[in-house]
Amino acid sequence: MMTMTQMETTVHYDNGYDEYQYMNQEDEWDRDNLLDPAWEQQQRKTFTAWCNSHLRKAGTQIENIEEDFRNGLKLMLLLEVISGERLPKPDRGKMRFHKIANVNKALEYITSKGVKLVSIGAEEIVDGNVKMTLGMIWTIILRFAIQDINVEETSAKEGLLLWCQRKTAPYRNVNVQNFHVSWKDGLAFCALIHRHRPDLLDYSKLNKDDPLGNLNLAFDIAEKHLDIPKMLDAEDIINTPKPDERAIMTYMSCFYHAFAGAEQAETAANRICKVLGVNQENEKMMEEYERLASELLEWIRRTTPWLENRTPEKTMAEMQRKLEDFRDYRRQHKPPKVQEKCQLEINFNTLQTKLRISNRPAFMPSEGKMVSDIASAWQGLDQAEKGYEEWLLTEIRRLERLDHLAEKFRQKATNHENWASGKELILSQNDYETATLIEIKALLRKHEAFESDLAAHQDRVEQIAAIAQELNELDYHDVAAVNQRCQSICDLWDKLGTLTQKRREALERTDKLLETIDQLFIEFAKRLAPFNNWMEGAMEDLQDMFIVHTIEEVQSLIAAHEQFKATLPEADAERQALLGIHNEVQKISQSYGIKANIVNPYSTLTTEDLIEKWDKVKKLVPQRDGALQEEMARQHANERLRRHFAAQANLIGPWIQTRMEDIGRCSLEIGGTLEDQMTQLKQCEHVIVAYKLNVDKLEGDHQLIQESLVFDNKHTNYTMEHIRVGWELLLTTVARTINEIETQILTRDAKGISQQQMKEFRSSFNHFDRKKNGAMETDDFRACLISMGYDLGEVEFARIMILVDPNGTGKVSFQSFIDFMTRETADTDTAEQVVASFRILATDKPYILMEELRRELPPEQAEYCIMRMPPYAGSGAPPGALDYTAFSTALYGESDL
Amino acid sequence: MSGEHIEGQEAMNIYSVNLSGPAPWGFRLQGGKDFSMPLTVSRLTPGGKAAQAGVGVGDWVVSISDTNAEDMTHVEAQNQIRAATDSLTLTLSK
Repeated sequence: MMTMTQMETTVHYDNGYDEYQYMNQEDEWDRDNLLDPAWEQQQRKTFTAWCNSHLRKAGTQIENIEEDFRNGLKLMLLLEVISGERLPKPDRGKMRFHKIANVNKALEYITSKGVKLVSIGAEEIVDGNVKMTLGMIWTIILRFAIQDINVEETSAKEGLLLWCQRKTAPYRNVNVQNFHVSWKDGLAFCALIHRHRPDLLDYSKLNKDDPLGNLNLAFDIAEKHLDIPKMLDAEDIINTPKPDERAIMTYMSCFYHAFAGAEQAETAANRICKVLGVNQENEKMMEEYERLASELLEWIRRTTPWLENRTPEKTMAEMQRKLEDFRDYRRQHKPPKVQEKCQLEINFNTLQTKLRISNRPAFMPSEGKMVSDIASAWQGLDQAEKGYEEWLLTEIRRLERLDHLAEKFRQKATNHENWASGKELILSQNDYETATLIEIKALLRKHEAFESDLAAHQDRVEQIAAIAQELNELDYHDVAAVNQRCQSICDLWDKLGTLTQKRREALERTDKLLETIDQLFIEFAKRLAPFNNWMEGAMEDLQDMFIVHTIEEVQSLIAAHEQFKATLPEADAERQALLGIHNEVQKISQSYGIKANIVNPYSTLTTEDLIEKWDKVKKLVPQRDGALQEEMARQHANERLRRHFAAQANLIGPWIQTRMEDIGRCSLEIGGTLEDQMTQLKQCEHVIVAYKLNVDKLEGDHQLIQESLVFDNKHTNYTMEHIRVGWELLLTTVARTINEIETQILTRDAKGISQQQMKEFRSSFNHFDRKKNGAMETDDFRACLISMGYDLGEVEFARIMILVDPNGTGKVSFQSFIDFMTRETADTDTAEQVVASFRILATDKPYILMEELRRELPPEQAEYCIMRMPPYAGSGAPPGALDYTAFSTALYGESDL
Repeated sequence: MSGEHIEGQEAMNIYSVNLSGPAPWGFRLQGGKDFSMPLTVSRLTPGGKAAQAGVGVGDWVVSISDTNAEDMTHVEAQNQIRAATDSLTLTLSK
């Protein structure tokens, strides 16, 4: 690009040089027909070097410029190399005409390039004409190296000159005006080199005064670094006042072509670079596009599977991490990519625009990297993204649900397992084997409760299974463990169901058995109770201490006993039935393995009791038989005693009765004196006394009877008591009657009652003694009194009754009667009489004094009176006066108040 | 009536008299526990205080001056009556 700038700064020197200039050059050549030998020398060196610089490209050289071109082959070759075109095939002969032909071919070519060759013929060249050859070479050089130079619309020689001037313009100590002397100090060469390649020499170090050094330096550098072979000789140039213009031009043309060619090449290169640059840019852009596209596609290709990955995670945490990753992707990773894609599109558009602007064909991305591909891939990505996001959310929801379900499952399973733990053991218990009926019932109820509990749990187990199922369907990560647990729960559940059923059956069976046993027990108890009562009663009866007094009683007992014995078989049957019940209970509990202590709760009595009692009963029966027989014997004996007693009593009783009658009669006897009565009575008494033996004997019999505990005797109405009492009564009666008679005698004597009176009294008394039992009754007495002329009021009669019957017996004895009858007439002491007696002692005072009492009465009686007499309450009495009236009346139970 | 109670009429024929003193009260007292006879009025002095008060012959003395006379001996009854000076209250039964 430096050349481009250089090109731009060079002044465009226009001298109108064009094709027309060819003629001028020819002329110029003609003029120089006579070559300066120096110039010839210089030209020869320069042109040879120049030709070789081209021929080396074809792998050949010339040594001698006038010789080596003579056959025309190298000439042709040279032309080919310079032009880059193919000349017609050279003739390969060694003959002259061959050579001429070849040279002509060369010349024709030159001519064909617009060069008019005048006076140059092939023969001269073949012949080795130096001047011609040099001239021809110069023509060639002119045409092919200088003619096409075009600098700022100045061409050929002028153009070259202008070029040199332009390029050396910055160097003040260089002034190029021509192609000869301007170059002598070598600075121009150096400047030119330095202008284009400052790296090759240090211009500031150059000295104008060292032309040799300068020239050699420049030539060395040109040869080494610029690929311009040495064509000039430094000494030649220094030593020649005017160096050969053509040589210098030739050498300079090489420089021009090297630099300006380089410049052109630069320009061309610039253009090319520009174009290439654009191309390169475009290519770069295309590459960039391709690269970006590739990368993007690669990224998409990498990312898409990630977005399409539907591998589910096990836990929500992991899934959420994925979501986070996705978010990161969306927030961090994708935006740059979006930008990239955008960039890609921009680049693509820019590229296309650039290409269009620079007239290039539109960019066609490689297969698979086309815009549509990108777009579709991007679309695919978007879709994958969306799908992925949806999937993530779905998955998270799913996992959430799974987590929730799994937790629910865990909880329910745990709860259930807790509930179920131990149940198996409980259900497997054999507690019913030792349970009583009530316990069984309780167990049954408990079991019922458990069954309903179980049923209630059925739901839950199903729920657990349902959850497990759902977990399976939702593809829970740890579903194996869940399934295992669920399975074990279900297995246990089934087991529990079976065990429950079995237990129910066992309980029911046991219950039924126990019920049966219970029923048997009830029956047993129901029947045992009365039977026990019967046995107890029987035992009682059999042991009954009977007190029998008659043979009939014994007989009836015996009969009863026989009756009882008749009931024994029935009872025995009942006993056996009861035992049978008991055995049945035993059988049942044994055969069904009931281990509980089977006790009859309804009965306190056991079979042992039953058996024991029965045995007792059985033992008692003959015992009783014996006892009864014994008793029978005894009763017979007693009967004998009774009869004996009765016989005696029946004799004695009436005898006593007779005697009593005798006595009564005797006492009632009117005829005869009391003494006669007395005698009779005494006689009676003797008889009675004599009879005592019998009574004693009877007593003896009675004792026997009593000892035999016989208390009744139907053979006689007389009991011993009767007899005894009768006997005693007899005795007492006789004694009393005797006593009465005695008393009567006394009374008769005392009261002076005559026998007649006595008889009258007796007669009256007997008359009114209606009942004739020696005593008058109250009514009798009343009647008696009335008959005797007593007109009695009730009160008076009562008084009289008191007198005659002081003991209130309701009977008036003859003695009392007599007393009463005689009292009225006799002198009896009455209360008035006693009062009168006291009055006497008190000397008519109404009161008596203690001294008087003491004086008149014996001390004992006096004191008695003093003690008992009340004080006299009347007026005019001294202290210590005693009221004898009150005392006296009090004695008789009569007081006047 | 020999010492026997009149059945069924006992309760209905009890009456009381209040004789104003001094003695004599005009009646004869018979009986007593020691005589196995109830205390009875065996005689009335005609126009006497007892007769004026409406006492009847044969009436039993139930109480003397509000003291129960059932178990009194004759002497005790006598003393009780004698003890009354200004007035004598008797409960009797016909």
